[in-house]
Amino acid sequence: MQAYDREALENGLLVTEAKRLFAMKFISKEQLTIVCTEFSLLKSSSIFIRFGFFLLGLFLFSSIAGFLALIFGQILDSHFQAMVYTYAVIGFVGSEVLAKSLYYRHGLDDAFIICAQAAICGAIGMTFESSVSVFAAMFVIGLVCCIRYVNTISALISCVGLVGFFFTLITELKVISSMYLPFIGLILATVIYYVFYKLNSSAKFLIYQNALQLIKIFSLVLAYASVNYMVVRELSESLMGIVVQKGHDIPLAFLFYGLTFLIPLAFIYYSLYSKDKLMLIIGFLTFGFSIYTIRFYYHILPVEVALLLGGIALFGIAYFAIRILKDKETGITFKEARGSETDVLTNLQALVVNSQVDVKPMESNSKMPFGGGGFSGGGAGESF
Amino acid sequence: MGKEINEFTEELLARELITDAQMKSIKQYDALGIFSLHNELRFLLYLGVLLFTSGVGVVIYKNIDSIGHIALLSVLFVITGIGFYFCFKKAKGFDKNEVLFDNPVYDYIVLLCTILSCVFIGYLQFQYAVFGYGLSSLVCSAVGFFCAYYFDNKSALSIGITGLATFIGITVTPKTLMENEIYSNPNLSYYGLALGAILILWMEYFVRQNLKKHFHIVYATFALNLVCICCIAGLLEDFWFVFVPLMAAAIYYFYKLSYQIHSTFIFVLSLLYGYIGINIFLGRLIGLLNVDDLVSFILFCSPFYVIGSIVLFIKMVQKFNKEKHAGIR
Repeated sequence: MQAYDREALENGLLVTEAKRLFAMKFISKEQLTIVCTEFSLLKSSSIFIRFGFFLLGLFLFSSIAGFLALIFGQILDSHFQAMVYTYAVIGFVGSEVLAKSLYYRHGLDDAFIICAQAAICGAIGMTFESSVSVFAAMFVIGLVCCIRYVNTISALISCVGLVGFFFTLITELKVISSMYLPFIGLILATVIYYVFYKLNSSAKFLIYQNALQLIKIFSLVLAYASVNYMVVRELSESLMGIVVQKGHDIPLAFLFYGLTFLIPLAFIYYSLYSKDKLMLIIGFLTFGFSIYTIRFYYHILPVEVALLLGGIALFGIAYFAIRILKDKETGITFKEARGSETDVLTNLQALVVNSQVDVKPMESNSKMPFGGGGFSGGGAGESF
Repeated sequence: MGKEINEFTEELLARELITDAQMKSIKQYDALGIFSLHNELRFLLYLGVLLFTSGVGVVIYKNIDSIGHIALLSVLFVITGIGFYFCFKKAKGFDKNEVLFDNPVYDYIVLLCTILSCVFIGYLQFQYAVFGYGLSSLVCSAVGFFCAYYFDNKSALSIGITGLATFIGITVTPKTLMENEIYSNPNLSYYGLALGAILILWMEYFVRQNLKKHFHIVYATFALNLVCICCIAGLLEDFWFVFVPLMAAAIYYFYKLSYQIHSTFIFVLSLLYGYIGINIFLGRLIGLLNVDDLVSFILFCSPFYVIGSIVLFIKMVQKFNKEKHAGIR
């Protein structure tokens, strides 16, 4: 079923586990070296290198595409779809070749798998000229690629296809009233989560754990997004032509208001209960978006007060949480887990700080009386 | 998640790749049920500081005429002063190596105070022109560097470097690097190259002195991006051939550096910039030939060119990984 040797995939997981244990300082470097040489492994690369090879893979694919278009473009003048199908075939052949030569999570294989899917979906879209068929194709092809190439992003493509399929069925083909859209979204999210839950508890699907984590994220975000007040209101305005007048609201508004806040809180609570970091992060992000939702419709506070209070509140919450958790040795704690990479976080913060900090506008403020040039914040080009 | 991964631990045990004693300590650790919120809480602190300082910025921006300068300045001064007071009280003093606060909260108070001081300095400059032309950013940068070295704070270091860049007239935030004003003002690329060179020298000097070695990566990242983007901007100019040796030298330097400090990040960035540079160089060479008939020939060659470069890159990455892990694949 998989394009790769199953044992090699599982060996990869064993080595990952050994690396984790090494990072947590349970095993020595010699042991890790033995583990790494013991097994035959697939050719994978670390995240930055993978990204680099992904770009190169896209380069390669597009240069092949350009090459073919140059040679056959004039002959196939009116049958351009054939060309796109050819691209898809090339993509899949490339993926197979890469899989046979043991490239797995290397970057090149990712590029080809994704290009192949994009090409075939594009080709199907050209042939049938309907978005429903494209979404259906995305769902099927994504699923097939995810299973065959054990590819994580294909799982996302498949999920998007599934949701898009139902969405277009309802909004374009009007199978049922658009009013039910939020609930359909919620049901789909539940179904996807159920699939995740079932597969995740079985040892057979361990090689798919990344893909499973991704569909979990997808289902959580989908569940939130389909009942978020802002999403529902904007969609019902554009799809059903509901005009919200002053003093009125969309149907069932109280339900959506409630769920907009209840769902993130439920995520946060449940994640702390079940020690699920991924869900915790999603909980925080969705909660942030809920606050944005409310501020979008009700300008309760001027922006600077909101920023100040928000900043103080966040800092305060974190500060007290740290005080409470600082000396705990078990369970939820502030102590660094063994082998966690705090260094990466501080480096990242150091690099990001400049794009966020408001030092710049003050700088150009300060130069304004002398050099002119307004508030663009574009540095000191004007003063030299 | 934890449970499934234990199956692999057991598999490792079954194959006698880990010992029973190790398995026991792993199990003990797992039994603690550690769920560390360390990074998450640190991130919240960071976010809080950023929101708060943006809020201060907006307050000043909106009320610059209404609240009164002395009032705003004194509030800023008091907050910054209190913050610094606590930081100095808790700091363990300057050390050449990495020193950490007992409580990471102070890292973020240092960051807060650094940013607020910059706001304060900017305000003073705007209202009373204390520092004269452009010097205010230099003062900000000095504050940033001081906090970075005294309190061991990488974010403050990055503010310091940005301040320097602002002084010579470039904004080197990741965002503006993407939007790139450097391309529209050629002179800036010379300034940028000069600053990049200074950063590299500075970094090398401090490494020799064994001073805050862990700041290496921040300097290297800034210098690499600055130099390479300036060189690329230069390659697109009229006098592009001047930049060819410069870029080659820079890429070679950072390539070597990535081996030295075992940084995959620097390695990938230097390869990426190098590849972009070579492609622009080839493009310019072809442009010099100025033959339109060649276009189809080039398109014909392109897949082979890309395949060739991929093979080359695979070789290079293999070499790098071998060196980096020295035994661990």
